[in-house]
Amino acid sequence: MMKDNQQTDRFQRVVKAASIHYDMEIGKTMAAITDDFPDNPAAMKYFYEKHRNLIRNDSNGKLPSKKTIATLCIHVPVELILAVGAIPVRSCAGAFTTEQLGAEFLPAKSCPMVKSTLGAISYNLLHGKVQPDLIINPATCDQKKKLGEINEEISEKFYLLEMPSTKDSEESREYWLQTVFKLIRKLESVTGNKLTAKSLKRAIQEVAHAQRLYRKFNHIRTSAPVILGKDALLVTNAFFFDDLESWSFHLNLLNEELENRMKTGFRVVNERAPRILLTGSPSVFPNMKMPLLVEELGGFIVSEEFCSSSRMLWDTVAVDEWHLYDMIPALADRYLKPSTCPNFSPNTDRIRKLLSAIEEYKIDGVVCQTFTGCQLYDMETRIIAKAMEQAGIQTLFVETDYSPEDIGQLTTRVEAFLHSLKHNRKKQLI
Amino acid sequence: MNYLQNIKHKADRANVSRLRFWIQLFTFLLIVYGGYFFIHIGSQVPTFACPYNQGSPGTCYLIAMQHGLHLTWSELVSYRGLAFFTGFLTFIGFFIVFNKAWCGFICPLGTLQDWITKLRYKIGIRFSRYDSASFQKLKKIKYVILVLLIAIPLGMSNSFFGLAPINHDMQSPFCQVCPGRTILPLASADTSQIFIDFTNKTTLVMSTLGILITALFFVGAFAKKRFFCFFCPMSALQFLFSRIGILRLTKNGSNCTRCGNCNRVCDVGIIGIAEDITSKYIVKDDCMMCFKCVEACPEDNCLDVRVFNAKIFSSTQEGFFKRYIQPNELSLKNEKNDER
Repeated sequence: MMKDNQQTDRFQRVVKAASIHYDMEIGKTMAAITDDFPDNPAAMKYFYEKHRNLIRNDSNGKLPSKKTIATLCIHVPVELILAVGAIPVRSCAGAFTTEQLGAEFLPAKSCPMVKSTLGAISYNLLHGKVQPDLIINPATCDQKKKLGEINEEISEKFYLLEMPSTKDSEESREYWLQTVFKLIRKLESVTGNKLTAKSLKRAIQEVAHAQRLYRKFNHIRTSAPVILGKDALLVTNAFFFDDLESWSFHLNLLNEELENRMKTGFRVVNERAPRILLTGSPSVFPNMKMPLLVEELGGFIVSEEFCSSSRMLWDTVAVDEWHLYDMIPALADRYLKPSTCPNFSPNTDRIRKLLSAIEEYKIDGVVCQTFTGCQLYDMETRIIAKAMEQAGIQTLFVETDYSPEDIGQLTTRVEAFLHSLKHNRKKQLI
Repeated sequence: MNYLQNIKHKADRANVSRLRFWIQLFTFLLIVYGGYFFIHIGSQVPTFACPYNQGSPGTCYLIAMQHGLHLTWSELVSYRGLAFFTGFLTFIGFFIVFNKAWCGFICPLGTLQDWITKLRYKIGIRFSRYDSASFQKLKKIKYVILVLLIAIPLGMSNSFFGLAPINHDMQSPFCQVCPGRTILPLASADTSQIFIDFTNKTTLVMSTLGILITALFFVGAFAKKRFFCFFCPMSALQFLFSRIGILRLTKNGSNCTRCGNCNRVCDVGIIGIAEDITSKYIVKDDCMMCFKCVEACPEDNCLDVRVFNAKIFSSTQEGFFKRYIQPNELSLKNEKNDER
């Protein structure tokens, strides 16, 4: 059925037109990222190029013989996909173009990311125009949960990864472990490869190697202002679709360059730039609206608490016995226990994480963005507001979406927020 | 100061488990054969230095305690009682130096179990998993044993609630069922402790129990890491005083992400180490201070090993990755990178 539909004239025309629009959207965002700022690190060039060619069919250096498996959330253990010899591609989309395509399938008040993702999958507009063999969709928030049922042409590719709604109880841990076992069987049947202790160990080690580099990167950018947040977000965003090895390789190069910058005392922002922590609904390329706005107006994004960046890469797997019987539960735990996704209740860990980041990274202000229609983040906004008020941290709450319409209004608000942060700092100095 | 920091930095990257293996080997030989080398460390040793084994350089405090409590009430408050209390203080003196690391680094039965675990791991047989709720209840047995171990000797000299004193065949009741009594003498090629005593009903029951528990020790250790330790009254007794130990394991909850790595690698499956974000002193009753949790913690200064209040080994990101990434697994990648 899918094939039939893809042959139709309308489908082809939509894809063609959307590709052009998408490409323009990327071009515009990339221009803002590269041209509006003077001190871009040379090693960022690789990541810029990756994003510039995001939907150009260059297969991203992947071997065509391998199966591609799309994931729609950080709760999918990528190590498993790597271990069965497939290519994981995180397919959460950030394009306004595909959001409009997705609007055809979903209620008007749905979250833009969900719309954009469904639009991108339905019209073959994922990263590198890759056509996934399987789409793993974790049942996190309600909107994602229902995603697989809506467009019947692609629903056969969807695999619902069941999720518990809490992470604290032993029952939920056990339930999650069982769903991971089920996922392994599915992956094995899709790829035709068996999960072995050797392949899984290698995958865990490779991801851990990438994480080690990411943590180093995080340490560098939080201890000295040598790279802007908009660049850091591109680095983590490239992890969505890039080949793991080359991602690690180029991150390593970037780290080396940034360390040199640290040694020479080079800084990308002046001392007065307020240090900002971003949190809330995740910014996914090319939706760089908030990060760009904050930094264009003189803020400095030190860290993000996003499932598109730190939450995806921070937490590690600790295995005691390198056999499947211990590796799989360890992997399952890593993708459940440390998660600060608001679909879990309670989610006090998120507040604790924010507070410790604020202290450790010397944050001046928090910018908390919520997408229109993203109910869970919206609900947590109140909890965060209370915690931030108690901690005495100024916070800007923003509700936004993928459309460029609210830029003017947001500019005023962010400007005023940054101004008041600077003012407060001055007062503290006196 | 800088020099000290350098040493600390090195220590944080160290592989404590490997070090522990060699310490355990050394202390195993010491506790099992030390007596042959004229080493004597007294009769208040807070670990299974079993006097039934001829090579033992000392005496496990549990046996001294059972003997020492073989007192009538009036004796207990006399000079004989004082002897018991000085013995007890000696035990505490020994204990607080290493705290529960007596279990993780020195106990010969613990070492034996770790070796059995290593063997199982080598063969590739999985360990068994338990329903944690019921296991939590099962673990309380060690406190029951500890209470019995104190009450039975007292019950032999005194009458509880007007009942007749307990039969003297129940002397040192725990030793009669302790796997240390049957296993450790084997190290001196002494099989005389493996018997069933048909003298009377009491000895028959107790000696049979002893043999069964010995068998369970081996079977259990093969299925579950440190199986016997969950039921060990020495562990229970030590835990009561663990807070005054000089060696400490502390946690800084604000650095914890509750990722559960510490719980995953814990041989005794302590969940509190991951879930508890408020306690500073984090030693729980089954903890044997092997410090695998500190090794597996990927957050800087979340878990710390301290002597008094000075940190001697802390969890670090750097140390975690150094211990958990094995470069030979990534060799292929590095070659590829070189080509680029």
